Amino acid sequence: MAYKRILVPLAGSAVDPDVVRLAVSIGKAAKAQLLGVHVIEVRWNLPLDAILDAELDHGEGLLAGAARIAAQAGGELETELLQAREAAAAIIDTAHERACDLILLGMPYRRRLGRTYVSRTVEEVYLGAHCAVLAYRQEASQ
Amino acid sequence: MAAPDLLTRHVERGGRPGDRYVRIVRPREFRRRGPGYVVASEEVLAPDTPAERVADTVRRLLFGARIASEREIHERVGVIKGLAVFASDNISSSAYATEEIMRVLVLAGVGALTLTMPITLVICGVLAIVVASYQQTLRAYPNGGGSYIVASDNLGPFAGLVAAGALMTDYVLTVSVSIAAGDEALTSIFPQLYPYRVALGIGFVLLLMIGNLRGIRESGTIFALPTYAYLVAIFGMLAFGLFRMATGTLPAYSAPPEWRAAHGAEALGILLILRAFASGSVALTGVEAVSNGIPAFRPPEWKNARVVLVLMGASFGLIFLGMSLLAGRLGIVPDPTEEHTVVSILTAALVGDGTPYHYFVQISTALILVLAANTAFADFPRLSSILARDGFMPHQFTYRGDRLAFSTGIFVLSLLAAGLIVAFQGSVTALIPLYTVGVFVAFTLSQSGMVRHWWKLRAWERGWWWRASFNGLGAIATAVVAVVVGVAKFAFGAWMVLVLIPVLIAIMWGIGSHYRRVRDALTLERPDPPLPTIRPRVVVPVNRLDRSALRALALARAIGTDVLAVHVSETHEEGQRMQQRWERWGGPVPLAVVESPFRVLIQPLLAYLDALDEQEPGRTTVVVLPEFVPRHFWENFLHNQAALRLKFRLFFRRNTVVCDVPFHLDEAYGEASEAPG
Repeated sequence: MAYKRILVPLAGSAVDPDVVRLAVSIGKAAKAQLLGVHVIEVRWNLPLDAILDAELDHGEGLLAGAARIAAQAGGELETELLQAREAAAAIIDTAHERACDLILLGMPYRRRLGRTYVSRTVEEVYLGAHCAVLAYRQEASQ
Repeated sequence: MAAPDLLTRHVERGGRPGDRYVRIVRPREFRRRGPGYVVASEEVLAPDTPAERVADTVRRLLFGARIASEREIHERVGVIKGLAVFASDNISSSAYATEEIMRVLVLAGVGALTLTMPITLVICGVLAIVVASYQQTLRAYPNGGGSYIVASDNLGPFAGLVAAGALMTDYVLTVSVSIAAGDEALTSIFPQLYPYRVALGIGFVLLLMIGNLRGIRESGTIFALPTYAYLVAIFGMLAFGLFRMATGTLPAYSAPPEWRAAHGAEALGILLILRAFASGSVALTGVEAVSNGIPAFRPPEWKNARVVLVLMGASFGLIFLGMSLLAGRLGIVPDPTEEHTVVSILTAALVGDGTPYHYFVQISTALILVLAANTAFADFPRLSSILARDGFMPHQFTYRGDRLAFSTGIFVLSLLAAGLIVAFQGSVTALIPLYTVGVFVAFTLSQSGMVRHWWKLRAWERGWWWRASFNGLGAIATAVVAVVVGVAKFAFGAWMVLVLIPVLIAIMWGIGSHYRRVRDALTLERPDPPLPTIRPRVVVPVNRLDRSALRALALARAIGTDVLAVHVSETHEEGQRMQQRWERWGGPVPLAVVESPFRVLIQPLLAYLDALDEQEPGRTTVVVLPEFVPRHFWENFLHNQAALRLKFRLFFRRNTVVCDVPFHLDEAYGEASEAPG
């Protein structure tokens, strides 16, 4: 299956570099467009378009880092910053709007209550997205 | 008022009812780092026109992709590449040090060549002292301890400039001598190339320039192979020779009788021995490079630099000793025509003339000799950037190019070295006397500076006295060598360097004074100065009353209240027509007409501005220049560029601000086509 447009949600976790490299390698054959998005989740007590400087700077920094990793891996990552109440909905909507055919999610390896933990965002994107979704979970040793 | 963050926010509707999210659109050319703080991305350098795209592709092919400043740490070198970059100069000297001693000694006859080994031992002793002293310098100056820094830090700025002048002269000579020597090694094996040695030399300079403009890490990668090939070739040859010597199977060698007959005119006196010692001392050049280049090493920088320094000294010493020993045992006599080098003769005697190994040794020697220049390419730009930072060289030398290399220094070094190669026709023998004087002056100042350094730290630094003793010994040894080299080579060309160094110092001192004056003139007297109030007189030169002029007049009114339009007319009728047109327009700006019966535009306008100044001396004049910009560059040739010429003249006028108001003609075409009717 050759994907033409791949959306890579980036949360700033340790798994991000692996996901970006994986996206580059998946997209290389079909020269797919790669879009990295970071969603700033806005609390309900603030307006949706509130100017959140610290979150903005953090997001800019991590997107720039991801673009650099993609360049090192031989790909090009277009980046986008979003603000939303819930990251999952914004990811699904952006994937739909940008006609992406794959969402590549990264999951850091975490355990809670004796089970591998899957975040709410990953779960909702997995269940709600219209396009194909691939979830990459980090190795347990990492 | 806060600076704009250049972001725009678009609220988008989500897929589910009531869902909304905000897309933050950022300009591709900038990355935000904080409120009111953006970082320009590589996009701002993207070529716009086809010609720019071609130039960009060529640039990328030659020099590689641009490297951001924050990637500097990744561009540093470790021990392996560091040895290739910073030690190639010193190690390569081993290819000709023995020969240079022999060439002087043989002037007193072939029998005098027995002194080659004792002189080699003395030079190796001096090298050991210098290397040991520089070990102390590296420890004391972990951020870079070249002679200039150490001398100016401990002995004052003048001593620093003496060291810098001496070193810079030597760096230029290093490039010229190394490349000329590389040429010689190459023409020794391919004699048909001899007539082209100057062109070859310039080609090598260009090659090194391009390699170094690609950045230090990449130049290390490119030039590491030849350095290590030379080490393998020479150590292999020496090991074979020493094995044959130990087993008593050294081949019989006999120099051609005409070579023996060509020498022996001079008497073997102390001056000749000193000259031989001075010529062999070229071997010590390049030791300085490592201490200057500490910041180019990977962390821990000074420790890596120390390893490189020791490896360099050991490699050089072993080759030099081995070469002198075997040349003495075989009874090699240097070729008076300079067509064959001692290394070539020695290798041919040991492994056979024209064998593959002979070629391997000769080609790798030629390459390392050329690459010795690479050390100067790594250090000269670095030293000149430090001098420029301190205000003793033009600030352009601090500029780091696309690949983080000090481009200006690299260009200037290439130019000077190529000039020397042409001037001396690529002859090593002609260039050698100029060489080495400077480097020993720098060594002496650096080591003396270190003695002072340890003395200043005596209360806190344990073992300061033995460190100071080492550096003191280094200072004495190098000072003696500097005097010997200066005296012995004075008449043969060293005088040129001894004249050039003070000239360089005077130039650097002059540059320093200029920058000090500029700094003093621009420095704020207090940390919170109020903004001065300026009420400028605004003058708008107008040729016609057109859209371009109206835009300039509108801007002029925004700048100040005292606005005056000035029209220079060639005839009385034209001036009157302009006045009538102005009155019909009835705008809020008065018009002054300056009639120029000699049909000159700029000088009458400047004289009119001078006359206005005389009425209110010292008042700032803002000249708002309406200027139209054609759609294509070639259309510029259809216009007389009066605004450009006027701008150039106004640029040097006191109390004058020039404000250019461009009017792009394609905008006007667009507006005209959109206009109703």
